Amino acid sequence: MTMTHETTLPSSLPRPAHELERLKKPWRRPTGWRYLTRVDNTSIGLLYIGTALLFFLLAGILGLMMRTQLAVPDNTLLSAGSYNQIFTMHGTVMMFLFAIPIVEAIAVFLLPNMLGARDLPFPRLSAYAFWAYAIGGLAFFCTLFFGLAPDGGWFMYPPLTGKQYSPGLNADFWLLGIGFIEISAIAGAIELIVGILFTRAPGMSLSRMPVYAWAMLVVAVMIVFAFPAIIAGTALLEMERAFDWPFFIAERGGDPILWHHLFWFFGHPEVYIIFLPAAGMVSTMVPTIAGTPLVGRRPIIVALVVVCFFSFALWAHHMFTAGLGVMTMSFVSAASMAVAVPTAIQVFGWIATLWRGRVTMNAPALFLAGFMFIFVLGGLTGVMVALLPFDWQAHDTYFIVAHLHYVLVGGMVFPVFAALYYWLPLVKGQRLSERLAQWAFWLMFGGFNIAFFPMHVTGLLGMPRRVYTYPAEMGWAGLNLASTVGAFVLAGGVLLVLVDVVRTLRRPEQPVGNPWHAATLEWLPTEDYGTRSIPHITSADPLWDQPGLSEQVEAGRHYLPGTASGKRETIATSPVSGKPLYLLILPGDSWLPFIAAAGTAGFFLLLTVKMNLTAWACGIAAIVATVAWLWGSDRKQPITEARVSDTLVLPVGARGSASHSWWATIIMLVVDATIFASFVFAYIHISMRLEVCPPPSASLPELRWPLVSGALLAAGSILMLWARRSIGRRRLPWLALMATGCVIGAFLVDLHGYDLAGLAPRAQAWSATIAALLSYQGLHVIVLAVAGPYLAARAWSGRLSPTSRATLDNTALLWHYTTLQGIALALAVHLVPLLME
Amino acid sequence: MRERLFGKLLRGTLPMLVWAAHFGGSYVLVAAQCSPAGFAPGSPHRLPLALMTLVALAICAALAWRARGTLGGGDEQTALLDWAAALTALLAFAGIAWTSVPLWLVESCA
Repeated sequence: MTMTHETTLPSSLPRPAHELERLKKPWRRPTGWRYLTRVDNTSIGLLYIGTALLFFLLAGILGLMMRTQLAVPDNTLLSAGSYNQIFTMHGTVMMFLFAIPIVEAIAVFLLPNMLGARDLPFPRLSAYAFWAYAIGGLAFFCTLFFGLAPDGGWFMYPPLTGKQYSPGLNADFWLLGIGFIEISAIAGAIELIVGILFTRAPGMSLSRMPVYAWAMLVVAVMIVFAFPAIIAGTALLEMERAFDWPFFIAERGGDPILWHHLFWFFGHPEVYIIFLPAAGMVSTMVPTIAGTPLVGRRPIIVALVVVCFFSFALWAHHMFTAGLGVMTMSFVSAASMAVAVPTAIQVFGWIATLWRGRVTMNAPALFLAGFMFIFVLGGLTGVMVALLPFDWQAHDTYFIVAHLHYVLVGGMVFPVFAALYYWLPLVKGQRLSERLAQWAFWLMFGGFNIAFFPMHVTGLLGMPRRVYTYPAEMGWAGLNLASTVGAFVLAGGVLLVLVDVVRTLRRPEQPVGNPWHAATLEWLPTEDYGTRSIPHITSADPLWDQPGLSEQVEAGRHYLPGTASGKRETIATSPVSGKPLYLLILPGDSWLPFIAAAGTAGFFLLLTVKMNLTAWACGIAAIVATVAWLWGSDRKQPITEARVSDTLVLPVGARGSASHSWWATIIMLVVDATIFASFVFAYIHISMRLEVCPPPSASLPELRWPLVSGALLAAGSILMLWARRSIGRRRLPWLALMATGCVIGAFLVDLHGYDLAGLAPRAQAWSATIAALLSYQGLHVIVLAVAGPYLAARAWSGRLSPTSRATLDNTALLWHYTTLQGIALALAVHLVPLLME
Repeated sequence: MRERLFGKLLRGTLPMLVWAAHFGGSYVLVAAQCSPAGFAPGSPHRLPLALMTLVALAICAALAWRARGTLGGGDEQTALLDWAAALTALLAFAGIAWTSVPLWLVESCA
C-alpha cells in the first residue's frame, strides 16, 4: 500500500542538483531599507497585521479616554469638542483601520499557505493595498493631534456633516481618508477572490477547500457588493461639501436619509464582513482543539453563503427610527431575526465538534470559549433590537453601545486573539506563554463583561450615546464607574498579550512543525518560497488524512519542486475541481507599489489641506509609478511551457477568460457597476421625493444628444473589438486612438446636451444627482483617454503580442463597460421621469 | 468556464436569489407606494405582495422537493453542491415565509 502511494506521487527522487538553490534565488527577500520593496505575502501579511494591531491599540487608547471622561458625572477632563473627535475616531479607526484590515491582513498572510500556493496572484497589488492603507491611515489618525479629526460620529450623518454645520476640514478628512482606505480594501478583495478560486493546490476542489478559505471567499464577494455603496456615499457628500451640490439638503430637494441608505447598505454587511472571517478562523481552530473533523462542515459552508445574502437585507434596521414606514421596516425586522438561523447553524456546529472531540483547554481554546459566550449574548440582544418597538426605546442609547461591542468584540476581537495564539508559531516557531495567556484571557474576558454588561442597564435607564458628560442626579454614575474600571482591566489583558507577543518574537527562530496537530496546509514546512513542492490534495483535512505529506512536500515529491522559468511561480488551478491549468509567473519585489501608494495617499491628504503643489507632485509620482508598474507587466513569457511534475507539463500563462488578470478585471468592473448602481439609486431616491419630475426649474436634454452619444460609444466599442482581432497588425494603435476619440466625443456630446438643457447642479438635488452620474461617467472617459494612447504606445513598442495581450483584453473589457454604463445612464435619466408620471 | 462554475454557483444559491428577489421586490413595492408621490400613500395594496410571496414560496418548495433526496438520505459522500441546493431551499423558504408575516399584520404605510 505504502509502495503504491509512494510511486504515485507527482515527482520522483532524487531531485536534480541545484534545483532547490534555483528555487530559492527569485524568492530571496531584500533586507534593510529595501524591505519597503517586498511584495511577498508573508512580509506584507505580517506588516499588515502589525499595522492593524497598532490601530487597535491607538483606538483602544481613545476608548480609555472616553471611559475616563465618563467615569464620574460632570467630568471636565475632556471638552465636548474633543470628546466628539475622540468618539468619532474611536469608532472609525476600530472599524475602518483595524477590523476590516486585520481580517484581510490575516488572509493575505495565511491563505496562500493554507491553499498550497506560493503566493497570491497579484503580490504587487497586495503591497499597494497595504502601503496605501498604512500611510493613509496613519496620516488620517494624526489629524487628531491638530484638532482636525472628524467629529460627526463614525457614520457621519448629514446634515450635521454638511458644510453648514461642519464647516472645517474635519469631515473632509473622514470622507477622503475612508474612501481611500475602502479602495484599498477592494483591491484586497479582488486579490483574495482570484487567489482562492485559481491558486489552490491541485486536487483541492471547492468541497475540500478549508472553511476559512470559504469564509474569505464569501467575505471578499461581500466587499465587492457592499463597499461601493459607501464609496458612492462618500463621493456624494464630498461633492456636496466641495461644490455645493445639495444631495442631502432637504430644503433644496435633497434627503439626509439617502446617506443613511448608502452608509448602512455598506455598514450592515460590514458587520458580517468582520464576523465571517472570524467564524472561518473558528471553524479552522475548533477541529484542531477538539482533535476531530468539523461537525456539519457542509451546512456550515452553506450557512456562510446564506449569511452573506441575508446580511444585505438588514441595512435598514439601523434606520428603524428614521420614519421609513412600519411595513417596510417590518420586512427588515423579520430579515434581521432570520439571520440568527444560519449563524446558529455555525455555533451549533462548533459546539457539536467540541462535544464530539477531546478538548485541550489551551490558550486558543480559552479565547474561543470567551468568543462563544460573548458573541451569543450579543446575538441575543441583536434579536431584541431587531424588534421595532424595542428598538424605538433602545435606539441611540448605551444599550446599543453594549450590543455592538458584544457582537464585535465577541465576534471578532476574541477570535482574532485566539488566532494570534494559534498561528503565531508560524512566524518563528515559538508559541506564546500558556501561563500568561490564562491571566490575559481572564483579564480580557472579565474586564470586557464588567465594562460592557452594565451598559445594557445604563442604556435602559436612558443614557444616550455620544454625550460627553452627564449630571449626577441621573443615577448613572455607579454603572459608568464600573464600565470604566472594566475597560481598564480589559486593556490590561490586551497589553499582557502584546507584551508576550513582543517577547516571543524576540526569541530565536526554531522549526515550526505542527504544534497543535492541525489538519490544514499552513503547517507544512515552509521557507521564503512557501512549500518546497505544491502538494496534491485528496482530503479536506490533508495533514490528518494524508500521512507523510509534510515529508513528501519537503522532499520535493509533489508539484513544482523547483522553478521552471527562474522567476517566482505558482500553479494556477481550475476553480471547481482544482485541476492544474497553467504555470503562473509572479512579479518580484519592486519600489513601484510603495511609491504609487505613498503618492496616492499624499495626493488626497495634501489636497484636503490645500497644499496643492505638493499634492499634485504626489499625484504625478503615483501616476508615473502606476504606469511604470503596468508597463513592466504583461510581458512576453520567458518560456512557453513548464514541467511541474514527472508527467505533467503545463502551459505558461493564459489568455482571455482563462487568465487570472481577466477575472480580476471582471471583478473590478462588478465593483464599478455597483458604484454606478448606487449613484442611480441616489437619482431614483431623490426623484421619488418629487411631486413633479423633472422639478419645475429643471429639464432633460433633447433625445438626439443621448442618441448621438450612445452611437459614438458603440462605435468606440466596435473599434476595440476590431483592435482585439488586430494583434500584430499596424492598424491596432490607430484603432485604439480612434476609439479614444469616439469615447471623448460621446462625452462631449452628452455635456453639450445637458448644457443646452440648463443643468444646474447647485439649484436642487435632482440636477445634482444627474451631475454626479455624469461625473462618474467622465471619470471613466478620463481613464480611457489615458488607456487608449497607452495601448497604442504598447503596440508601437512591440509589447502587444499573441502571448502578451492581457493589457488589450482587459482594456477592451473596461471599454465595453464604459459604453454600457453611458447607455444605462442615459436610459435611467430619461426613463425615471416617465415612470414618475 | 469548462467546469460550469457559474452554473454550479447558480444551482447552489438559486433559492437565496429567489429570497433576495422577494425581499427586494416587497421592499421596493411598498416604498414606491408609500413615497410622497407614490400611487397608494397611506395604505399600500397588499394583494400583489401576497401573490409575489406565494410564487416565491412555491419556487422554493419546488427546489426543496427536487433536493429532497439530499435532505432525507444525505450521507458523508453527498456533494457540497447538493447540500447547498437543499439547505438553501429550506432556509430561503423559511426566510420568505417569515419576511411576509408583516403583510398579514400591518395594514398601513406609517
